[in-house]
Amino acid sequence: MPRVSLNQPAPNFTLPDFSGKDFSLAVLKGKKIVLLVFNRTFA
Amino acid sequence: MAQLRHDHPEFVSRDVAVVVVGPEDAQGFSDYWQKENLPFIGLPDPKASVLKLYGQEVNLFKLGRMPAQVLIDKEGIARFVHYGHSMSDIPSNEEILALVDEINQAK
Repeated sequence: MPRVSLNQPAPNFTLPDFSGKDFSLAVLKGKKIVLLVFNRTFA
Repeated sequence: MAQLRHDHPEFVSRDVAVVVVGPEDAQGFSDYWQKENLPFIGLPDPKASVLKLYGQEVNLFKLGRMPAQVLIDKEGIARFVHYGHSMSDIPSNEEILALVDEINQAK
């Protein structure tokens, strides 16, 4: 399985957020540091 | 999630956007987000497209996906990558914030 490599570009992605609005990681580039958290489940 | 919410102002003050990706469907995610009033960017990913893109481990013997955290600087470079082996195997917010400070000081 591919994994993100340290000190390499993080892959961009676009997903609808919980309200249905599209979110793209690229919109934060140059503006924010991003903490990307993958959760197992909230249940 | 509660600890992350508690420390969220610390992340915001350091110019960090917290993006949480979960395996729930959109409705389940939306219900949870609104019930808990979470301040993060929340992305339901029931098809696990981003989870697979980022290589989050799936372990069927441990009830699904394992947690992972990636810290990405403003240039889009991954500066910290952690793949957990259990739900307790995640770095503390203090560790993450220290890394953020390092990134910010390196500018």
